[in-house]
Amino acid sequence: MKGLLVKDFKLMMLQKNFLLLILAIVIGMMVFTDDMAFPLGFLSFVVSLFTVSTISYDDFDNGNAFLFTLPITRNNYVIEKYSLGLLFGCIAWILATVLGIIATVLKGTLPITDLLLVSLIILPIMIIIQAIMLPFQLKFGGDKGRIAMIGAFGGLAIIALIIVKGANIIFDIDLVHILNTLPTVSMGLLVVIAVIVALLLLLISMKISLSIMNKKEF
Amino acid sequence: MLNIEHLKKHYDNFSLDCSLELMSGCVTGLIGQNGAGKSTTFKAILGLISTDGGNITILGKDIKDFTAKDKEDLGVVLSDSGFSGYLKIKDIIPILQNMYTKFDKSFFIEQIQRFQLPLNKQIKDFSTGMKAKLKVLVAISHNAKLLILDEPTAGLDVIARDELLEMLREFMEKDEERSILISSHISSDLESLCDNLYMIHDGKIILHEDTDVLLSDYALLKVDAEQYGKLDKQFILRSKKETYGYSCLTNQKQYYIENYPKIAIEKGTIDEVITMMIRGTEQ
Repeated sequence: MKGLLVKDFKLMMLQKNFLLLILAIVIGMMVFTDDMAFPLGFLSFVVSLFTVSTISYDDFDNGNAFLFTLPITRNNYVIEKYSLGLLFGCIAWILATVLGIIATVLKGTLPITDLLLVSLIILPIMIIIQAIMLPFQLKFGGDKGRIAMIGAFGGLAIIALIIVKGANIIFDIDLVHILNTLPTVSMGLLVVIAVIVALLLLLISMKISLSIMNKKEF
Repeated sequence: MLNIEHLKKHYDNFSLDCSLELMSGCVTGLIGQNGAGKSTTFKAILGLISTDGGNITILGKDIKDFTAKDKEDLGVVLSDSGFSGYLKIKDIIPILQNMYTKFDKSFFIEQIQRFQLPLNKQIKDFSTGMKAKLKVLVAISHNAKLLILDEPTAGLDVIARDELLEMLREFMEKDEERSILISSHISSDLESLCDNLYMIHDGKIILHEDTDVLLSDYALLKVDAEQYGKLDKQFILRSKKETYGYSCLTNQKQYYIENYPKIAIEKGTIDEVITMMIRGTEQ
Protein backbone atom coordinates (compact mmCIF):
# COMPACT_ATOMS: atom_id res chain seq x y z
CA MET A 1 0.00 0.00 0.00
CA LYS A 2 2.77 2.41 0.96
CA GLY A 3 4.66 1.37 -2.15
CA LEU A 4 1.61 2.25 -4.26
CA LEU A 5 1.30 5.65 -2.63
CA VAL A 6 4.98 6.32 -3.30
CA LYS A 7 4.47 5.29 -6.94
CA ASP A 8 1.46 7.56 -7.38
CA PHE A 9 3.25 10.43 -5.71
CA LYS A 10 6.14 9.97 -8.15
CA LEU A 11 3.69 9.87 -11.05
CA MET A 12 1.94 13.04 -9.90
CA MET A 13 5.28 14.78 -9.51
CA LEU A 14 5.73 14.32 -13.26
CA GLN A 15 3.20 17.10 -13.63
CA LYS A 16 4.49 19.33 -10.87
CA ASN A 17 5.06 22.25 -13.23
CA PHE A 18 1.46 22.07 -14.33
CA LEU A 19 0.34 21.87 -10.69
CA LEU A 20 2.39 24.95 -9.84
CA LEU A 21 0.84 26.75 -12.79
CA ILE A 22 -2.65 25.90 -11.51
CA LEU A 23 -1.66 27.19 -8.07
CA ALA A 24 -0.39 30.42 -9.62
CA ILE A 25 -3.67 30.83 -11.54
CA VAL A 26 -5.67 30.26 -8.35
CA ILE A 27 -3.63 32.81 -6.40
CA GLY A 28 -3.92 35.24 -9.32
CA MET A 29 -7.71 34.85 -9.39
CA MET A 30 -7.94 35.40 -5.65
CA VAL A 31 -5.83 38.53 -5.87
CA PHE A 32 -7.45 40.09 -8.90
CA THR A 33 -11.11 39.08 -8.62
CA ASP A 34 -13.57 39.11 -5.75
CA ASP A 35 -15.02 35.74 -6.68
CA MET A 36 -13.68 33.22 -4.17
CA ALA A 37 -15.89 30.23 -4.99
CA PHE A 38 -14.35 29.57 -8.38
CA PRO A 39 -10.65 29.45 -7.40
CA LEU A 40 -11.53 27.41 -4.31
CA GLY A 41 -13.40 24.80 -6.31
CA PHE A 42 -10.95 24.92 -9.20
CA LEU A 43 -7.92 23.96 -7.11
CA SER A 44 -9.74 21.14 -5.31
CA PHE A 45 -11.14 19.68 -8.53
CA VAL A 46 -7.95 19.92 -10.54
CA VAL A 47 -5.95 18.15 -7.82
CA SER A 48 -8.65 15.45 -7.62
CA LEU A 49 -8.33 15.06 -11.37
CA PHE A 50 -4.58 14.65 -10.97
CA THR A 51 -5.00 11.77 -8.54
CA VAL A 52 -7.42 10.10 -10.95
CA SER A 53 -4.94 10.57 -13.80
CA THR A 54 -2.51 8.21 -12.03
CA ILE A 55 -4.90 5.43 -13.10
CA SER A 56 -4.19 6.25 -16.75
CA TYR A 57 -0.47 6.23 -16.04
CA ASP A 58 -0.77 2.77 -14.50
CA ASP A 59 -2.70 1.64 -17.54
CA PHE A 60 -0.14 2.98 -20.02
CA ASP A 61 1.49 0.17 -22.06
CA ASN A 62 -0.47 -2.51 -20.19
CA GLY A 63 1.42 -1.58 -17.03
CA ASN A 64 -1.40 -2.91 -14.85
CA ALA A 65 -0.50 -6.52 -15.59
CA PHE A 66 2.95 -6.07 -14.06
CA LEU A 67 1.62 -3.91 -11.22
CA PHE A 68 -0.57 -6.75 -10.02
CA THR A 69 2.33 -9.18 -9.89
CA LEU A 70 3.86 -6.98 -7.16
CA PRO A 71 2.96 -7.77 -3.54
CA ILE A 72 -0.39 -5.98 -3.63
CA THR A 73 -3.93 -7.15 -4.15
CA ARG A 74 -6.58 -5.66 -6.38
CA ASN A 75 -8.43 -4.51 -3.28
CA ASN A 76 -5.29 -2.75 -2.02
CA TYR A 77 -5.08 -0.96 -5.34
CA VAL A 78 -8.65 0.34 -5.24
CA ILE A 79 -8.45 1.40 -1.60
CA GLU A 80 -5.16 3.17 -2.31
CA LYS A 81 -6.70 5.16 -5.18
CA TYR A 82 -9.60 6.30 -2.98
CA SER A 83 -7.23 7.20 -0.15
CA LEU A 84 -5.01 9.09 -2.55
CA GLY A 85 -7.97 11.03 -3.94
CA LEU A 86 -9.26 11.94 -0.50
CA LEU A 87 -5.81 12.76 0.83
CA PHE A 88 -4.71 15.05 -2.01
CA GLY A 89 -8.23 16.41 -2.54
CA CYS A 90 -8.41 17.45 1.10
CA ILE A 91 -4.89 18.90 1.10
CA ALA A 92 -5.78 20.98 -1.96
CA TRP A 93 -9.10 21.98 -0.40
CA ILE A 94 -7.43 23.08 2.86
CA LEU A 95 -4.74 24.95 0.93
CA ALA A 96 -7.38 26.69 -1.20
CA THR A 97 -9.41 27.61 1.88
CA VAL A 98 -6.36 29.01 3.67
CA LEU A 99 -5.41 31.01 0.58
CA GLY A 100 -9.02 32.20 0.34
CA ILE A 101 -9.06 33.30 3.97
CA ILE A 102 -5.80 35.19 3.53
CA ALA A 103 -7.13 36.88 0.39
CA THR A 104 -10.47 37.89 1.96
CA VAL A 105 -8.82 39.12 5.14
CA LEU A 106 -6.30 41.21 3.22
CA LYS A 107 -8.90 42.56 0.82
CA GLY A 108 -11.73 42.73 3.34
CA THR A 109 -14.29 41.77 0.71
CA LEU A 110 -16.33 39.00 2.30
CA PRO A 111 -17.07 38.05 5.90
CA ILE A 112 -14.93 34.99 6.77
CA THR A 113 -18.04 32.96 7.66
CA ASP A 114 -19.32 33.39 4.12
CA LEU A 115 -16.03 32.22 2.70
CA LEU A 116 -15.96 29.21 5.01
CA LEU A 117 -19.47 28.35 3.95
CA VAL A 118 -18.50 28.45 0.27
CA SER A 119 -15.49 26.32 1.04
CA LEU A 120 -17.61 23.83 3.03
CA ILE A 121 -20.06 23.48 0.17
CA ILE A 122 -17.19 22.65 -2.19
CA LEU A 123 -15.97 19.77 -0.02
CA PRO A 124 -18.93 17.39 -0.55
CA ILE A 125 -19.08 18.31 -4.24
CA MET A 126 -15.41 17.41 -4.61
CA ILE A 127 -15.95 14.07 -2.86
CA ILE A 128 -18.95 13.26 -5.07
CA ILE A 129 -17.01 14.09 -8.21
CA GLN A 130 -14.26 11.72 -7.11
CA ALA A 131 -16.87 9.08 -6.32
CA ILE A 132 -18.11 9.35 -9.90
CA MET A 133 -14.75 9.63 -11.64
CA LEU A 134 -12.89 6.75 -10.00
CA PRO A 135 -15.12 3.82 -11.03
CA PHE A 136 -15.38 5.15 -14.59
CA GLN A 137 -11.64 5.51 -14.86
CA LEU A 138 -11.05 2.04 -13.43
CA LYS A 139 -13.66 0.44 -15.67
CA PHE A 140 -12.85 2.10 -18.98
CA GLY A 141 -9.23 3.23 -18.56
CA GLY A 142 -7.71 6.47 -19.89
CA ASP A 143 -9.42 7.54 -23.11
CA LYS A 144 -12.78 5.80 -22.94
CA GLY A 145 -12.95 6.73 -19.24
CA ARG A 146 -12.82 10.42 -20.05
CA ILE A 147 -15.67 10.16 -22.54
CA ALA A 148 -17.74 8.06 -20.14
CA MET A 149 -17.07 10.60 -17.39
CA ILE A 150 -18.25 13.53 -19.49
CA GLY A 151 -21.42 11.56 -20.18
CA ALA A 152 -21.87 10.83 -16.49
CA PHE A 153 -21.48 14.47 -15.46
CA GLY A 154 -23.85 15.54 -18.23
CA GLY A 155 -26.37 13.00 -16.95
CA LEU A 156 -25.91 14.23 -13.40
CA ALA A 157 -26.45 17.85 -14.43
CA ILE A 158 -29.65 16.88 -16.24
CA ILE A 159 -30.91 14.96 -13.18
CA ALA A 160 -30.18 17.95 -10.93
CA LEU A 161 -31.97 20.23 -13.36
CA ILE A 162 -34.96 17.91 -13.52
CA ILE A 163 -35.17 17.77 -9.71
CA VAL A 164 -35.02 21.56 -9.38
CA LYS A 165 -37.45 22.20 -12.25
CA GLY A 166 -39.65 19.27 -11.25
CA ALA A 167 -39.95 20.52 -7.67
CA ASN A 168 -40.79 23.91 -9.06
CA ILE A 169 -43.49 22.74 -11.46
CA ILE A 170 -45.05 19.83 -9.57
CA PHE A 171 -44.77 20.93 -5.94
CA ASP A 172 -44.35 24.62 -6.62
CA ILE A 173 -41.19 24.72 -4.48
CA ASP A 174 -38.22 26.85 -5.55
CA LEU A 175 -35.24 24.79 -4.31
CA VAL A 176 -32.66 27.33 -5.45
CA HIS A 177 -34.46 30.10 -3.59
CA ILE A 178 -34.71 27.97 -0.43
CA LEU A 179 -30.98 27.23 -0.57
CA ASN A 180 -30.15 30.89 -1.08
CA THR A 181 -32.29 32.13 1.79
CA LEU A 182 -31.40 29.42 4.29
CA PRO A 183 -30.03 30.92 7.51
CA THR A 184 -26.33 30.28 8.12
CA VAL A 185 -26.93 27.89 11.00
CA SER A 186 -29.16 25.50 9.06
CA MET A 187 -26.86 25.98 6.07
CA GLY A 188 -24.04 24.67 8.26
CA LEU A 189 -26.18 21.67 9.19
CA LEU A 190 -26.99 21.10 5.53
CA VAL A 191 -23.28 21.09 4.69
CA VAL A 192 -22.55 18.55 7.42
CA ILE A 193 -25.32 16.32 6.07
CA ALA A 194 -24.00 16.83 2.54
CA VAL A 195 -20.48 15.78 3.59
CA ILE A 196 -21.84 12.65 5.28
CA VAL A 197 -23.93 11.80 2.22
CA ALA A 198 -20.93 12.44 -0.04
CA LEU A 199 -18.74 10.13 2.05
CA LEU A 200 -21.44 7.45 1.91
CA LEU A 201 -21.55 7.83 -1.87
CA LEU A 202 -17.77 7.52 -1.94
CA LEU A 203 -18.02 4.26 0.00
CA ILE A 204 -20.64 2.91 -2.41
CA SER A 205 -18.47 4.02 -5.30
CA MET A 206 -15.53 2.18 -3.73
CA LYS A 207 -17.62 -0.99 -3.44
CA ILE A 208 -18.42 -0.71 -7.14
CA SER A 209 -14.76 -0.09 -7.99
CA LEU A 210 -13.70 -3.13 -5.96
CA SER A 211 -16.01 -5.36 -7.95
CA ILE A 212 -14.88 -3.74 -11.23
CA MET A 213 -11.23 -4.38 -10.43
CA ASN A 214 -11.78 -7.93 -9.23
CA LYS A 215 -13.45 -8.83 -12.52
CA LYS A 216 -10.73 -7.31 -14.70
CA GLU A 217 -8.35 -9.44 -16.78
CA PHE A 218 -4.90 -8.22 -17.65
CA MET B 1 7.49 -24.97 -6.07
CA LEU B 2 4.81 -24.74 -8.70
CA ASN B 3 2.24 -27.25 -9.74
CA ILE B 4 -0.35 -26.81 -12.45
CA GLU B 5 -3.01 -29.43 -13.05
CA HIS B 6 -5.19 -29.17 -16.11
CA LEU B 7 -5.31 -25.42 -16.11
CA LYS B 8 -8.10 -24.49 -18.52
CA LYS B 9 -8.83 -21.22 -20.23
CA HIS B 10 -11.10 -20.78 -23.22
CA TYR B 11 -11.08 -17.95 -25.69
CA ASP B 12 -13.08 -17.73 -28.90
CA ASN B 13 -10.56 -19.53 -31.05
CA PHE B 14 -8.10 -20.85 -28.52
CA SER B 15 -8.32 -23.12 -25.57
CA LEU B 16 -5.65 -23.94 -23.05
CA ASP B 17 -5.30 -27.18 -21.13
CA CYS B 18 -1.94 -27.22 -19.47
CA SER B 19 -0.29 -29.24 -16.71
CA LEU B 20 3.24 -28.73 -15.52
CA GLU B 21 5.40 -29.09 -12.48
CA LEU B 22 8.38 -27.07 -11.34
CA MET B 23 10.74 -28.62 -8.81
CA SER B 24 12.67 -26.74 -6.18
CA GLY B 25 16.16 -25.81 -7.37
CA CYS B 26 15.27 -26.28 -11.03
CA VAL B 27 15.07 -24.05 -14.05
CA THR B 28 12.16 -25.12 -16.17
CA GLY B 29 11.62 -23.78 -19.65
CA LEU B 30 8.38 -23.40 -21.51
CA ILE B 31 8.85 -23.25 -25.25
CA GLY B 32 6.33 -22.75 -27.95
CA GLN B 33 5.41 -20.61 -30.91
CA ASN B 34 3.78 -17.22 -30.65
CA GLY B 35 0.22 -17.76 -29.57
CA ALA B 36 0.85 -21.29 -28.28
CA GLY B 37 -0.40 -20.37 -24.80
CA LYS B 38 2.76 -19.42 -22.92
CA SER B 39 1.64 -15.98 -21.81
CA THR B 40 -1.85 -17.20 -21.00
CA THR B 41 -0.34 -19.87 -18.75
CA PHE B 42 1.87 -17.29 -17.03
CA LYS B 43 -0.98 -14.85 -16.52
CA ALA B 44 -3.13 -17.57 -15.03
CA ILE B 45 -0.34 -18.55 -12.62
CA LEU B 46 -0.08 -14.92 -11.53
CA GLY B 47 -3.82 -14.51 -11.10
CA LEU B 48 -4.00 -11.84 -13.80
CA ILE B 49 -6.73 -13.66 -15.67
CA SER B 50 -9.58 -15.84 -14.47
CA THR B 51 -9.41 -19.54 -15.28
CA ASP B 52 -12.06 -21.97 -16.45
CA GLY B 53 -10.81 -24.94 -14.47
CA GLY B 54 -7.85 -26.75 -13.01
CA ASN B 55 -5.61 -26.18 -10.02
CA ILE B 56 -2.55 -24.03 -9.54
CA THR B 57 -0.37 -24.38 -6.47
CA ILE B 58 2.54 -21.99 -5.90
CA LEU B 59 5.04 -22.47 -3.08
CA GLY B 60 2.66 -24.98 -1.52
CA LYS B 61 -0.35 -22.68 -1.57
CA ASP B 62 -3.39 -22.70 -3.79
CA ILE B 63 -3.38 -19.60 -5.95
CA LYS B 64 -6.74 -18.56 -4.51
CA ASP B 65 -5.20 -18.34 -1.04
CA PHE B 66 -2.09 -16.52 -2.23
CA THR B 67 -1.79 -13.23 -0.34
CA ALA B 68 0.03 -9.99 -1.07
CA LYS B 69 2.67 -11.03 1.45
CA ASP B 70 3.16 -14.36 -0.35
CA LYS B 71 3.76 -12.49 -3.58
CA GLU B 72 6.98 -11.13 -2.10
CA ASP B 73 8.48 -14.57 -2.78
CA LEU B 74 7.88 -14.20 -6.50
CA GLY B 75 9.93 -12.30 -9.02
CA VAL B 76 8.09 -11.65 -12.24
CA VAL B 77 8.94 -10.48 -15.73
CA LEU B 78 6.11 -10.09 -18.22
CA SER B 79 6.85 -9.70 -21.90
CA ASP B 80 4.33 -6.97 -22.54
CA SER B 81 4.23 -5.11 -19.25
CA GLY B 82 6.44 -3.44 -16.67
CA PHE B 83 6.71 -0.37 -14.51
CA SER B 84 5.02 2.69 -15.99
CA GLY B 85 7.26 4.06 -18.75
CA TYR B 86 7.01 7.51 -17.21
CA LEU B 87 8.97 6.47 -14.13
CA LYS B 88 12.73 6.57 -13.77
CA ILE B 89 14.96 4.07 -12.00
CA LYS B 90 15.48 6.54 -9.18
CA ASP B 91 11.67 6.59 -8.71
CA ILE B 92 11.48 2.81 -8.74
CA ILE B 93 13.96 2.31 -5.91
CA PRO B 94 11.75 3.84 -3.16
CA ILE B 95 8.70 2.08 -4.64
CA LEU B 96 10.43 -1.31 -4.38
CA GLN B 97 11.72 -0.49 -0.92
CA ASN B 98 8.16 0.09 0.22
CA MET B 99 6.77 -2.91 -1.63
CA TYR B 100 9.23 -5.64 -0.63
CA THR B 101 10.45 -6.15 2.92
CA LYS B 102 13.53 -7.95 1.58
CA PHE B 103 14.43 -5.52 -1.20
CA ASP B 104 18.23 -5.46 -1.50
CA LYS B 105 18.92 -1.86 -2.41
CA SER B 106 22.71 -2.09 -2.49
CA PHE B 107 22.58 -5.14 -4.79
CA PHE B 108 20.08 -3.38 -7.04
CA ILE B 109 22.18 -0.22 -7.35
CA GLU B 110 25.34 -2.26 -7.87
CA GLN B 111 23.69 -4.11 -10.77
CA ILE B 112 22.30 -0.89 -12.23
CA GLN B 113 25.86 0.40 -12.36
CA ARG B 114 27.20 -2.88 -13.72
CA PHE B 115 24.82 -2.72 -16.67
CA GLN B 116 25.14 1.05 -16.98
CA LEU B 117 21.43 1.69 -16.75
CA PRO B 118 20.59 5.40 -16.42
CA LEU B 119 19.07 6.37 -13.08
CA ASN B 120 17.59 9.59 -14.28
CA LYS B 121 15.89 8.70 -17.54
CA GLN B 122 12.29 7.70 -18.12
CA ILE B 123 11.96 3.97 -18.78
CA LYS B 124 9.99 4.57 -21.97
CA ASP B 125 13.15 6.10 -23.48
CA PHE B 126 15.29 3.05 -22.64
CA SER B 127 16.56 0.72 -25.37
CA THR B 128 14.98 -2.74 -25.62
CA GLY B 129 18.03 -4.27 -23.97
CA MET B 130 18.01 -1.79 -21.10
CA LYS B 131 14.32 -2.35 -20.46
CA ALA B 132 14.79 -6.12 -20.42
CA LYS B 133 17.72 -5.92 -17.99
CA LEU B 134 15.81 -3.62 -15.67
CA LYS B 135 12.81 -5.95 -15.63
CA VAL B 136 14.98 -8.92 -14.69
CA LEU B 137 16.86 -6.86 -12.10
CA VAL B 138 13.61 -5.88 -10.42
CA ALA B 139 12.61 -9.54 -10.32
CA ILE B 140 15.86 -10.76 -8.73
CA SER B 141 16.49 -7.95 -6.22
CA HIS B 142 14.17 -8.93 -3.40
CA ASN B 143 15.30 -12.45 -2.55
CA ALA B 144 12.47 -14.21 -4.38
CA LYS B 145 12.10 -17.97 -4.14
CA LEU B 146 10.51 -18.39 -7.53
CA LEU B 147 11.05 -16.41 -10.71
CA ILE B 148 8.34 -16.41 -13.33
CA LEU B 149 9.80 -14.97 -16.50
CA ASP B 150 7.73 -14.60 -19.64
CA GLU B 151 9.96 -14.04 -22.66
CA PRO B 152 12.64 -12.08 -20.80
CA THR B 153 14.98 -12.33 -23.79
CA ALA B 154 12.53 -11.30 -26.53
CA GLY B 155 14.02 -8.85 -29.00
CA LEU B 156 17.52 -8.86 -27.49
CA ASP B 157 20.82 -9.10 -29.34
CA VAL B 158 23.17 -11.98 -28.57
CA ILE B 159 25.29 -10.04 -26.07
CA ALA B 160 22.38 -8.63 -24.12
CA ARG B 161 20.84 -12.10 -24.08
CA ASP B 162 24.00 -13.62 -22.65
CA GLU B 163 24.23 -10.95 -19.96
CA LEU B 164 20.65 -11.58 -19.00
CA LEU B 165 21.10 -15.33 -18.80
CA GLU B 166 24.22 -14.72 -16.72
CA MET B 167 22.15 -12.68 -14.25
CA LEU B 168 19.77 -15.61 -13.93
CA ARG B 169 22.60 -18.09 -13.39
CA GLU B 170 24.02 -15.91 -10.63
CA PHE B 171 20.57 -15.73 -9.06
CA MET B 172 20.33 -19.53 -9.02
CA GLU B 173 23.82 -19.97 -7.59
CA LYS B 174 23.06 -17.95 -4.47
CA ASP B 175 20.48 -20.35 -3.08
CA GLU B 176 19.84 -23.98 -3.96
CA GLU B 177 16.14 -23.74 -3.20
CA ARG B 178 15.44 -21.12 -5.83
CA SER B 179 13.58 -22.00 -9.01
CA ILE B 180 12.83 -20.37 -12.30
CA LEU B 181 10.02 -20.85 -14.79
CA ILE B 182 11.04 -19.20 -18.02
CA SER B 183 9.43 -19.04 -21.43
CA SER B 184 10.90 -18.20 -24.78
CA HIS B 185 10.48 -18.95 -28.41
CA ILE B 186 14.27 -18.86 -28.84
CA SER B 187 15.27 -22.35 -27.84
CA SER B 188 19.03 -21.75 -27.76
CA ASP B 189 18.43 -19.40 -24.81
CA LEU B 190 16.89 -22.20 -22.86
CA GLU B 191 19.22 -24.96 -23.95
CA SER B 192 22.03 -23.54 -21.84
CA LEU B 193 19.94 -22.51 -18.83
CA CYS B 194 17.11 -24.97 -18.27
CA ASP B 195 17.19 -28.31 -16.50
CA ASN B 196 14.04 -29.45 -18.22
CA LEU B 197 11.73 -28.21 -20.91
CA TYR B 198 8.03 -28.23 -21.58
CA MET B 199 6.89 -27.73 -25.12
CA ILE B 200 3.50 -26.15 -25.61
CA HIS B 201 1.50 -26.10 -28.83
CA ASP B 202 -2.09 -24.98 -29.43
CA GLY B 203 -2.65 -24.70 -25.70
CA LYS B 204 -1.43 -28.20 -24.91
CA ILE B 205 1.82 -29.56 -23.54
CA ILE B 206 3.15 -31.86 -26.25
CA LEU B 207 6.52 -32.73 -24.75
CA HIS B 208 8.27 -32.70 -21.39
CA GLU B 209 11.88 -33.79 -21.20
CA ASP B 210 15.11 -33.12 -19.36
CA THR B 211 17.31 -30.84 -21.43
CA ASP B 212 20.21 -33.32 -21.22
CA VAL B 213 18.07 -36.17 -22.51
CA LEU B 214 16.67 -33.97 -25.24
CA LEU B 215 20.16 -33.13 -26.43
CA SER B 216 21.65 -36.63 -26.05
CA ASP B 217 18.88 -39.08 -26.94
CA TYR B 218 16.74 -37.21 -29.45
CA ALA B 219 17.83 -37.36 -33.06
CA LEU B 220 16.61 -36.92 -36.60
CA LEU B 221 16.79 -39.88 -38.94
CA LYS B 222 16.99 -38.97 -42.59
CA VAL B 223 15.83 -41.89 -44.70
CA ASP B 224 14.70 -42.51 -48.25
CA ALA B 225 11.38 -44.17 -49.02
CA GLU B 226 12.83 -47.68 -49.07
CA GLN B 227 14.69 -47.29 -45.79
CA TYR B 228 11.57 -45.77 -44.30
CA GLY B 229 9.57 -48.84 -45.22
CA LYS B 230 12.00 -51.15 -43.45
CA LEU B 231 12.45 -48.93 -40.41
CA ASP B 232 11.37 -50.18 -36.99
CA LYS B 233 9.05 -47.38 -35.97
CA GLN B 234 8.49 -48.17 -32.30
CA PHE B 235 10.80 -45.37 -31.13
CA ILE B 236 9.80 -42.85 -33.79
CA LEU B 237 7.84 -39.96 -32.29
CA ARG B 238 7.07 -38.02 -35.44
CA SER B 239 7.87 -38.30 -39.11
CA LYS B 240 7.63 -35.90 -41.97
CA LYS B 241 7.75 -36.30 -45.75
CA GLU B 242 10.72 -34.56 -47.37
CA THR B 243 12.01 -34.29 -50.94
CA TYR B 244 14.58 -37.03 -50.31
CA GLY B 245 12.18 -39.32 -48.45
CA TYR B 246 11.36 -38.94 -44.79
CA SER B 247 12.80 -37.33 -41.71
CA CYS B 248 11.90 -39.01 -38.45
CA LEU B 249 12.25 -37.84 -34.87
CA THR B 250 13.32 -40.41 -32.31
CA ASN B 251 14.01 -40.27 -28.60
CA GLN B 252 16.17 -43.42 -28.78
CA LYS B 253 19.10 -42.34 -30.90
CA GLN B 254 21.34 -45.18 -29.73
CA TYR B 255 18.89 -47.86 -30.87
CA TYR B 256 18.95 -46.62 -34.45
CA ILE B 257 22.70 -46.03 -34.48
CA GLU B 258 23.23 -49.66 -33.49
CA ASN B 259 20.60 -51.28 -35.66
CA TYR B 260 20.65 -49.11 -38.75
CA PRO B 261 24.30 -48.13 -39.27
CA LYS B 262 23.59 -46.96 -42.83
CA ILE B 263 20.99 -44.38 -41.93
CA ALA B 264 21.98 -40.71 -41.66
CA ILE B 265 21.37 -39.70 -38.06
CA GLU B 266 21.61 -36.09 -36.97
CA LYS B 267 21.80 -34.90 -33.42
CA GLY B 268 18.52 -33.15 -32.68
CA THR B 269 18.65 -29.50 -31.73
CA ILE B 270 15.78 -28.15 -29.71
CA ASP B 271 14.56 -26.15 -32.70
CA GLU B 272 14.45 -29.26 -34.85
CA VAL B 273 12.64 -31.19 -32.15
CA ILE B 274 10.06 -28.41 -31.90
CA THR B 275 9.58 -28.26 -35.64
CA MET B 276 9.16 -32.02 -35.89
CA MET B 277 6.81 -32.19 -32.91
CA ILE B 278 4.60 -29.55 -34.49
CA ARG B 279 4.87 -30.25 -38.21
CA GLY B 280 5.47 -33.99 -38.22
CA THR B 281 2.77 -36.65 -38.15
CA GLU B 282 2.44 -38.89 -35.15
CA GLN B 283 3.38 -42.55 -35.55
